Amino acid sequence: MSSNQSSVVVEGLSKRYLVPHRSESLSKMGKVAAHMREFFPFLSREDSDFFWALRDLSFEVKPGEILGILGHNGSGKSTLLKILSGVTQPSFGKAILRGKVGSLLEVGTGFHPDLTGRENVFMSGVLLGLKRQDIAAKFDEIVDFSGIEAFIDVPVKRYSSGMYVRLAYAVASMLSADILILDEVMAVGDAAFREKSKENIEKIANDGRTVLFVSHNARAVTSMCTTGMILEAGQCIYQGSAKDAVATYLRKVHHYDTDEALRNEAATFHDLDNAPRLLGGQKRVLRWVSTHRKDGTPSNRFNTGESLLVRIGYQGLKIPNPYFAVLIMNEFAERVATIHSTHHAGHIDWTESGVIECCIEDLRLGEGTYRIMLDFGIYGGSRMAVTSLDCVPNAAAIHIELSGFITGMGIDAYQGAVHKSAWRPLPYQELDIKSGN
Amino acid sequence: MTTEIRVIEKQQGLGFGLAEILKWRELLLMLAQRQISSRYRQMLLGFFWAALEPLGQLVMLTLVFGFLLKVDTGGYPYPLYAFAGLTAWWLFTRNLMSVAGSLQENMGLISKVYFPRLILPLAATIKELFDITVMVAMLLIVAAIYGYFPGLRTLLILPLLIFAAVISLGLGLWLASFMVRFRDIRPMLNLGLQAGMYATPIVYSASLVPERFQFAYQLNPMYWVVELSRWALLDKPVQITAPFYWSLVFSLLLLASGLLVFAATEKMAVDVQ
Repeated sequence: MSSNQSSVVVEGLSKRYLVPHRSESLSKMGKVAAHMREFFPFLSREDSDFFWALRDLSFEVKPGEILGILGHNGSGKSTLLKILSGVTQPSFGKAILRGKVGSLLEVGTGFHPDLTGRENVFMSGVLLGLKRQDIAAKFDEIVDFSGIEAFIDVPVKRYSSGMYVRLAYAVASMLSADILILDEVMAVGDAAFREKSKENIEKIANDGRTVLFVSHNARAVTSMCTTGMILEAGQCIYQGSAKDAVATYLRKVHHYDTDEALRNEAATFHDLDNAPRLLGGQKRVLRWVSTHRKDGTPSNRFNTGESLLVRIGYQGLKIPNPYFAVLIMNEFAERVATIHSTHHAGHIDWTESGVIECCIEDLRLGEGTYRIMLDFGIYGGSRMAVTSLDCVPNAAAIHIELSGFITGMGIDAYQGAVHKSAWRPLPYQELDIKSGN
Repeated sequence: MTTEIRVIEKQQGLGFGLAEILKWRELLLMLAQRQISSRYRQMLLGFFWAALEPLGQLVMLTLVFGFLLKVDTGGYPYPLYAFAGLTAWWLFTRNLMSVAGSLQENMGLISKVYFPRLILPLAATIKELFDITVMVAMLLIVAAIYGYFPGLRTLLILPLLIFAAVISLGLGLWLASFMVRFRDIRPMLNLGLQAGMYATPIVYSASLVPERFQFAYQLNPMYWVVELSRWALLDKPVQITAPFYWSLVFSLLLLASGLLVFAATEKMAVDVQ
């Protein structure tokens, strides 16, 4: 394979599904006709009867590239993977894949509960396109990796879910292909496995093979991929380096305007009446939010170890057991702190409209920019569950500086909470170490 | 090093899809094996049930048609007469249901991993052929009890059963993709199979059918499978007539068209599920 030849070429790929009765204004006869159109595809001609999961998608992937495909649910990621792995065929356009294709769209493909671990290893391996004798040759390695030697001849329905997943992963890890198509299922599992599979993917790419990795986990894409692509409504809206793609994705999907001119650098007050909501926001309760120092002066710059006041203006609070939550997210849209009004020990006297202040003492955040997600909802019921009713994913931003809380070496915004620590050398005495004194 | 190049686009034109099966034969055998072993592992008495179900039906048929209605079999003991026909019909029914339902039942696999879909109905057929051996063994025992000992000619039952499997495979291939989309097919198929049983000389003698209907009656390929089975086992005379050749042609066309229809429609199955 010459290295300048793309290993994956996608040209004008489209996939449409027939969903004829989407318009609700149909008469009874119209509904019958719509049903008929679903059953007999040749009757269907109107473009409105189709849902386009992918529309005119074109891109190329070079050998050695690890392409991260980002997109929220329903953006067409999975459809793209299904087409490339041959599970379903495109409606228009084509894809050319140079090399042996291996795809992992689920954990434990073809596992049957009644069969033993041993039988399932072979079944799953052959389904993934391996030869029986290759599996036999690698069998010990697989069992070793999974760490369930003792149960290999037990039906997998008797496995714990952890054992099941380990065995499934072990089978998947021996998949060798020139083009590897991975769904984000592979990004779960325990930390050791994640590390191992990450190494595996990097090794594959170093060998000049190609990896397509679908995810909506920004962190996984940044750490694993070399290039990135964002899908939205079946179309590619961005293609570039993995880092840029992730930044663009977070801005688009999580409403993170990294454009600081738009989100005024010094803004401490944020009107939320028109802010984007998650889950459609059945209620409009959250009206505005402002951030302050402990003494009440507005600010959006804080030092680690300081206190942060969040004031939330709300209206129309007519439910029993309401809650408010301040969720702090890092630049990867990963939550680093969860602060709930239900954490407050005492009783809170809610009024129908008003302002609630949340005081977060002793911020333990590392240096960086954080987003504040505000959530409002109801808690209680038989299982004491919380149900979100109004959620603004990007209500405010705060900037944190370590500013001498600890020395600023060796900690990033996304490396966990900041703690003061004291370190001192102890005189080395072997006996003391053994006795623990 | 030659690089394997795969072009993915909307399938155009027709094909039987048989070439790929060779490449995936390991999977075919493993799927068949899995279906067989998972069935017999689930039920401790797997073999027992495989035998008891048709035996139970045989007893009922014997009571109603042999004992109460005293159907004329031309001197052959009724249980054996019915059993010889029932075995092939049993295979036909089971295989048709399995093949027709093969896509629907394996939706989980189909939507997650690529392999030639034709493997699923083929694996189902292999499994049904395996299952029928229990019944054939019983048939031979019942025959021996009545004094009909298997000879060389009895071996003919084997190709006859395979032929029955092929017809039902062809018919099932026609239905498999549509079964995923139209749930109504299953009850219709049940009804059709019941009608088919009475349109084939299983519980009664073919000589009961009026002469003027005989030509149409004998176009049914299963008529020949049943009658030839009896000839092979009981030495019951059978006359080869023109409809025999027609039904043979019809069966081969059924299989060929079934393969074509399946290859053309299985792609849509994963999209509708």
